[in-house]
Amino acid sequence: MKFLTTVALAVMVLLASATPASAYIGPGAGFALMSSAFVLVTTVLIVFVTLLAWPFRALWRALTSPAPPKASITRLIVVGLDGQDPKLTDQFMREGILPNFSALAATGSYRRLATTFPSVSPVAWSSFSTGSHPARHNIFDFLDRDRRTYLPMLSSAHIGKVDRFLKVGRYRIPLRKPELRLLRKSKPFWTILGESRIWSTVLRVPITFPPDNFYGAELSAMCVPDLLGTQGTFLLYTTRPQSQAFKEGGLRFSVAIENDVVTTTLHGPDNAFVEGTPPLTLPLRARLDREQRQVEVTVGAHSVTLTAGTLSDWIPLTFAAMPGVSVKGLTRLLVTELGDHFSLYVAPINLDPDAPAMPISHPSYFATYLAKRVGSFATLGLAEDTWALNEGVTDDGTFLQQTYDIDRERESMFFASLDRLRRGCLVCVFDATDRIQHMFWRDIDPGHPAGRGREHAPHRDAIRELYRRNDAMVGRVREKLRDGDVLMVISDHGFSSFRRGVNLNQWLLREGYLTLKPGTDGSTEWLRDVDWTATRAYALGLTGMFLNLHGREAGGIVKPGAEAAALKAEIMGKLRNLADSEKAAVGVNEAFDTAVLYSGPYLENAPDLIIGYNAGYRTSWDCATGMVSGPVFEDNLKPWSGDHCIDPRLVPGVFFCNRKVTTEEPSLIDIAPTALRLFGITPPPHMDGRPLEGLS
Amino acid sequence: MATFPERALAGLNAALVTAFDLTLGPLMGLPPLVSLLLVSLVTAAVMLVVVARTSNQPAMIETKRGIQAALFEIRLYGDQPGLMMRAFGEVLVRNGRYLLLSLVPLAWMSVPLMLVIAQLQAFYGYDGLRPGEPALVTVQLAADSGPAALVLEAPAEVGLETGAVRLAGSNEVVWRLRPTVEGAYALTVRDGDAAVTKSLLVSPAPGRRSPLSVATGLVDQVLYPSEAPLPAGSRIASIEVAYPEPGVDLFGWRMHWMIVYGVLSLACAFALARRFGVTI
Repeated sequence: MKFLTTVALAVMVLLASATPASAYIGPGAGFALMSSAFVLVTTVLIVFVTLLAWPFRALWRALTSPAPPKASITRLIVVGLDGQDPKLTDQFMREGILPNFSALAATGSYRRLATTFPSVSPVAWSSFSTGSHPARHNIFDFLDRDRRTYLPMLSSAHIGKVDRFLKVGRYRIPLRKPELRLLRKSKPFWTILGESRIWSTVLRVPITFPPDNFYGAELSAMCVPDLLGTQGTFLLYTTRPQSQAFKEGGLRFSVAIENDVVTTTLHGPDNAFVEGTPPLTLPLRARLDREQRQVEVTVGAHSVTLTAGTLSDWIPLTFAAMPGVSVKGLTRLLVTELGDHFSLYVAPINLDPDAPAMPISHPSYFATYLAKRVGSFATLGLAEDTWALNEGVTDDGTFLQQTYDIDRERESMFFASLDRLRRGCLVCVFDATDRIQHMFWRDIDPGHPAGRGREHAPHRDAIRELYRRNDAMVGRVREKLRDGDVLMVISDHGFSSFRRGVNLNQWLLREGYLTLKPGTDGSTEWLRDVDWTATRAYALGLTGMFLNLHGREAGGIVKPGAEAAALKAEIMGKLRNLADSEKAAVGVNEAFDTAVLYSGPYLENAPDLIIGYNAGYRTSWDCATGMVSGPVFEDNLKPWSGDHCIDPRLVPGVFFCNRKVTTEEPSLIDIAPTALRLFGITPPPHMDGRPLEGLS
Repeated sequence: MATFPERALAGLNAALVTAFDLTLGPLMGLPPLVSLLLVSLVTAAVMLVVVARTSNQPAMIETKRGIQAALFEIRLYGDQPGLMMRAFGEVLVRNGRYLLLSLVPLAWMSVPLMLVIAQLQAFYGYDGLRPGEPALVTVQLAADSGPAALVLEAPAEVGLETGAVRLAGSNEVVWRLRPTVEGAYALTVRDGDAAVTKSLLVSPAPGRRSPLSVATGLVDQVLYPSEAPLPAGSRIASIEVAYPEPGVDLFGWRMHWMIVYGVLSLACAFALARRFGVTI
């Protein structure tokens, strides 16, 4: 390098002394000099204009905005550890493996944090951000139902379709963008802070897709789709004979090996630019080297050599939709089988943050900025592929690697943002705690049906290790704290075992509240077998139960008012302490009447009842997908073995703070008004939460 | 006596002249902008291969991403002058690093490119002499040589208009020509018993022109490769024919061909970079 540098300098001196060719010393110099000059000129210009305009902007703000509030702190840092459970936290603190959490508890505060009804992440984080109960922010579950068809739909975002196109040959050019609307109502506290020109950086807080528009920056999270438009669909290319389709989030493609080469196509999103929206594809070629246990995979223009069983880094995919228009995604590959049979796992194709096909950040370039700053990262709402592990396509190790890689990406962007936060608020939610507890709870619950035979599983300590890692991360955050900073480490809910599934639709059928169409057995998904003309109640989503209300549901038969109230009371009575006779245990503690739980403008969109499952129980897999058939209670044998969609009183979250808090029973909805109060802003009256006491 | 590097360079120049005459000669029927575009495409492709093989691509990618991140940061934190200036500083530092990283491929590219550019200069750098237009032939004598009685011999079609004019201060001897017929000619300059020749092309058609013949010397040989160097030990340092410099017509703008070449080769390189999988 030194020698070459010397040569380069010598050559340039030589050239500089010569005429006339010294005027131009080649594209090599051109690349470097022109790029550098362009960057420098652009930068200087931007900085100059911005600096020049800054006093005027400041003056304008001073004249047009109210006086800035008198904040009692400089920075508020909220670290969200989705699903960190207080019981486990207590246990590990006692064991001494969480020194940083213990230090926070000793020098500041540690409380249980009451969660929302229901204790489901989209609901809980929406209440966290808006400081209000669900009836004011309109998020009640992951799913809502279409009142006309009873089919499920995403509760948090509406992604519309474009119906007007300009046809040019075989292509059709959309005449407008598809409508994209966040269905969460009310104002998150960072929007209110922004109205007083207090900056917030918000990273991956659930239910922020499409992103909020406010003074600050936000990266969307839960409900950001993958490139296929789903909430996460993995692909499996396999030589194994076609068996049953994946139940959750996966597509299987048959391939054949010819001379140690597999040639197929990678299926991408539908091409909206062509009539009939055929899927966009990329050529996929895999050359197998069984001896070396390696496979050279070429997808589109990208080639990578994979070692069997080792997850690849992010692989960029570019699908050409029409001349000049491409759609970019990122995926990771894993050869899961390389022997007589070959199988290649393709992780859900994430939107490429470098050039996202949908708005996933505010401002729109914030995702690109983060990608430049910390490298490629997962953008999918539920980015950790729990479905592939559930279906047995990937193994524990792969899932953990994927999850921790995502966690590292998140941590990089969190610390980059923290480093740049002078005054204001930084909120970041880490999902690993939720995902790993979902998938590995069977290893800490001795009686779990899915834990049989796992006595020597290599990742049995995954949850303990997870808490240890969380603690280390909190330690790194504490090192960055300055005077005037408030740090809160919170979780939206705790966790519990999911040993037994409850099919409430089957229970409703048996109790005579739900009727099937003649000739059907209820095994069709999404309640398609239900006879709505004779059904009075149905369960949908993870915790909700709805009356088939006349005037609300398309086929509603229950009259609103007294009849509905009586039916509700009747069902609530029957569900109280609903027994699982096989296990001699209570499956459902109680059903909660949402009209009693909440008040607010969106109450009419709430389920009529929220089911408070007992610890160890949850809605069954079949019920969650709208199937009526099967037993009411059944063992859960899936790796997804822990859950929190139960009686919310059983799964509070955690609240740690570096300062003393005197409120004894804080609630998740108190965080938003507390944040406002810390920055000198009076919380608006529509917030249900109350500022935590003692913080100053 | 020519040194070994000078003799080697002379040999290399001879080979390059043949190669370029064979490849570029047929393109001379095209408008200069078009033939330059083709040359630029080839140049860009070759240079991208060189960059791919000689540069530290991961470091360049990381550096460029850092610059882009800092630029976004300036925009993102436009309300916070401290953060903005910090990002500006990062741009400067990373730009310096980018330039440093560019030195290695630059070193690899500079020498071959100089040889290529010198060849292209012979084709694009000079306009042809036309019959009836005057031109000067200047002989530069070596600095330590005494007075010399030089004689210029030229065919009748070349039309030697004046005798030798000696410029004592600059140690030069100048003649004026006015060719009457198109053609390729050889001029002979006699210095006593010694004689050296110089080519002269009288034609408006595009083609190779050699304005200067030089004595041995690496830099001059690199820059003026079209003719063999003057004999070693000669009192004549160089012979120059003053061809007009035409420029290339770029959408109505008359520009030096090297600027056009530079712009085109850069544009081609940026356009091809992704296809070659190279970050520049």
